[in-house]
Amino acid sequence: MATSRVVREFSFKLNGREVKVRAPPAYTLLDTLRYIIRLTGTKDGCSSGDCGACTVLLDGKAVHSCLTLMAQVQGREVVTVEGVDPIIPQAYAQEGAVQCGYCTPGLVMATAALLKANPKPSDEDIREALRGNLCRCTGYVKIIRAVKMAAGV
Amino acid sequence: MISLADLDVVTPSSLGEALEILAERAGKVRVLAGGTDLIVQMRHRMTPKTDLLNIYALDELRYVKLEDGYVKIGALTDFSTIYSSPLVRRAAPVLAEAAFAVGSVQIMNKATLGGNIVNASPAADSLPPLYVLDANLTLKSRSSVRTVPIDEFYKGYKKLDIRPDELLVEVSFKPLPDNYSGRFFKHGLRQGDAISVVNGAVLIGWDNETDTIADARVALGAVAPTVVRATECEKMLVGAKLDDETMWRAAEAVKESISPIDDVRGSAAYRREMCINYVYMTLWILSRKVKA
Repeated sequence: MATSRVVREFSFKLNGREVKVRAPPAYTLLDTLRYIIRLTGTKDGCSSGDCGACTVLLDGKAVHSCLTLMAQVQGREVVTVEGVDPIIPQAYAQEGAVQCGYCTPGLVMATAALLKANPKPSDEDIREALRGNLCRCTGYVKIIRAVKMAAGV
Repeated sequence: MISLADLDVVTPSSLGEALEILAERAGKVRVLAGGTDLIVQMRHRMTPKTDLLNIYALDELRYVKLEDGYVKIGALTDFSTIYSSPLVRRAAPVLAEAAFAVGSVQIMNKATLGGNIVNASPAADSLPPLYVLDANLTLKSRSSVRTVPIDEFYKGYKKLDIRPDELLVEVSFKPLPDNYSGRFFKHGLRQGDAISVVNGAVLIGWDNETDTIADARVALGAVAPTVVRATECEKMLVGAKLDDETMWRAAEAVKESISPIDDVRGSAAYRREMCINYVYMTLWILSRKVKA
C-alpha cells in the first residue's frame, strides 16, 4: 500500500455480512477486496473501467470496483463473486463458458445483476448487459448460453 | 499508473455541508461524483492529484421530476436511471438514447449526469442532447444560486463558467412538444463501452400541415474544443422539406461549424467525414419516421 496520510474505518455489508475495514479513503474497493480483505475472486484487468473483470454489485447494481473508492462504499452493500448465487458460476462451468477464466468473475457478476433485474432475459438483453465485459479467449456464444442456462430460458 | 491511496477524501452528509466545505477549501478539493472518469484521469496523471470532496452519498441530488413545466434532473442522477426514466423517455427521448450510449452497464450505473457535464470532455455523450434541449444548469454555492444556459457554460476546452466554490446541482429543460422528433448518434470504436470519435444530436420540429421543418437543432461533439451547434446546417433545414438533396446539403454544411483534431481515436479528416455521414444518416432516419 502506498504511504497514506489518512486511514479510516469503513463499515459496509459484504456478501451478506457486516464488515469493518481500515483503509485509505481513496483506496479502491478492488484493492481493498484483494489486498486487505484477501478476497481475490474479483480480478484486476485494466484498472480503467474498460474490461469489466472487476465487476461487483454495489447496492445490487453492477459497478467497476476499480473505479469505486472506499469513501463511496461506506454504509452500502457489496456482493462479490464469492457471495453470488452459485447457480451462475455453475452454469458457466457446465456450458464451458470459461477458457482462461480471468474475465469470468466479472461476467458472473454482470450476469447476477442482469438476472436480478430481469429474470427471463432475451438474447439482446443479455448482450446489452454483458457489453462492458471483455473476454479475449472465447467468442461469447457459450457465455450467452451460460446466462440462459442460469436463467432457465 | 499511480496509486491514489495518499489522497484524503472528505464525505459530507448533506448538500449544505458540501457547499460549506467547497467554500472553505475552494480550489483545493475536486468534487467526486461517480468517479468513472476522474479516477482514471488521476491514476494516469492526466489531471493533478487533489484531495476529493465525495458527494456520491448525497441522495438529495438524485431525482428526475417534472416541476413548473420543466424536466428537472438532480446532478447525481446516474445514466441507468436517466435511460430508464419514463419521464425522460417521453419528454426528451434524445437524452435517454444518449444515456444508453455513455458506456457499459457498469459505467451507466455509476456515472452521473452532473459529472459528465463538469468533466467537460468535448466527447461527452450527454452534452449534444442537452444542447439541442436548450438545457439550463443550476449552480449553487454557500451564498448564491444561479442558472446558466448550457451553451454559455463552456468557454473553451475544459474551461467552464463555474467558480471553485460552486457545485452543479440540477439540469433542467422544457419537455419537447409533440411535433418534435430527435435522434442521438455516436461513432465509437467499440459497441459496448467507448469514448465517442464523433457524436451528436439532431432535433427537428415539424410543421405538420406543410410537412416542412419549422425548427432544427443540431449539436455535435468531439469535433471542436466544446460541443458546437451546427448553425449553417440548421439554417438549411428550417423551412425545407426533408428530401435527399436537403439532407446531403445540410449534412455537408456541418463543416462550417466544426474544427476536429487528430488524436488516438481518429484523424481530423476521418472525424469530418464521419460527422457529415452521421448527420445525413440521422436526418434520413428522422425523415422515415415522419412518413411512417
